[in-house]
Amino acid sequence: MKKTCTHQPDCLKLIQRILDREATPEEEAAFLANKEQCLPCQEGYELEQSLRKAIKSSCSSKCPEALFARIKAKLFVVLILISILIPLFC
Amino acid sequence: MEIDTQTVSMPQSDAQAVFEKEFMPHLDAMYNFALRLTNDEDDAQDLVQDTCMKAFRFIDSFEPGTYAKAWLFRILKNNFINDYRKKSRGPAKVEFEWVEQSFSGDEDQEPASHADLHAETVNEMLGDEITAAIQALPVDFRMIIILCDLEEFSYEEMARILDIPIGTVRSRLHRARAILKESLAGYAKSKGYH
Repeated sequence: MKKTCTHQPDCLKLIQRILDREATPEEEAAFLANKEQCLPCQEGYELEQSLRKAIKSSCSSKCPEALFARIKAKLFVVLILISILIPLFC
Repeated sequence: MEIDTQTVSMPQSDAQAVFEKEFMPHLDAMYNFALRLTNDEDDAQDLVQDTCMKAFRFIDSFEPGTYAKAWLFRILKNNFINDYRKKSRGPAKVEFEWVEQSFSGDEDQEPASHADLHAETVNEMLGDEITAAIQALPVDFRMIIILCDLEEFSYEEMARILDIPIGTVRSRLHRARAILKESLAGYAKSKGYH
């Protein structure tokens, strides 16, 4: 297995496009086949995967129930006001 | 309460139905995005509420069948830039403040060095440490990482949400990740992670 990668910057960009679902199936297949023979590409791929997983699990928050209710209530008031105001001006 | 009846011309029942069916399912994602942008729960709630009211006001410009989430995120981003950016809170933890200093501002420039960071180190880190590193990123970088890695928007959708060319999406994302990795590597070293 290769211990160094001569085109690491390009490989890193390709890894990111693959994980971002932007690479073509051909690009992805070629990279995955090459990855088995290249340690830096393997490590780079695992690091990028770990980062995405960590971001997903640590940066997710749910909308507070109170906000959900407040938006629905405000929308309801706006609709009532529109239904009163529009006939007055039309 | 500011109401512009002129902008909502579709029948009210239709407008309400579109709103509930197309927009309400994205409230969690909108709140999360707003929280990452503002760093403050109250500001995030105000930002989401303002965005929803604005979305309802301009509901006629939404084309049913198109991607409502991207449309809403674009309104939220514009709302944030126009009304909230100046008062948004700073980084959550001082350990990451140096990240701001390491940002040169040139998005097309390649990252200066490659971070010495491994997948195992990231896996060992606590959620709070990852969150703090994300929150310490300059807001444009934070925004694009959340849109891509958390919300899984395509490059094309992100270009539309952020009003930037697709090439800038790629370079900004690449740079944001490089800075994040540098930041985490520096933090891991200082805390004795392997």
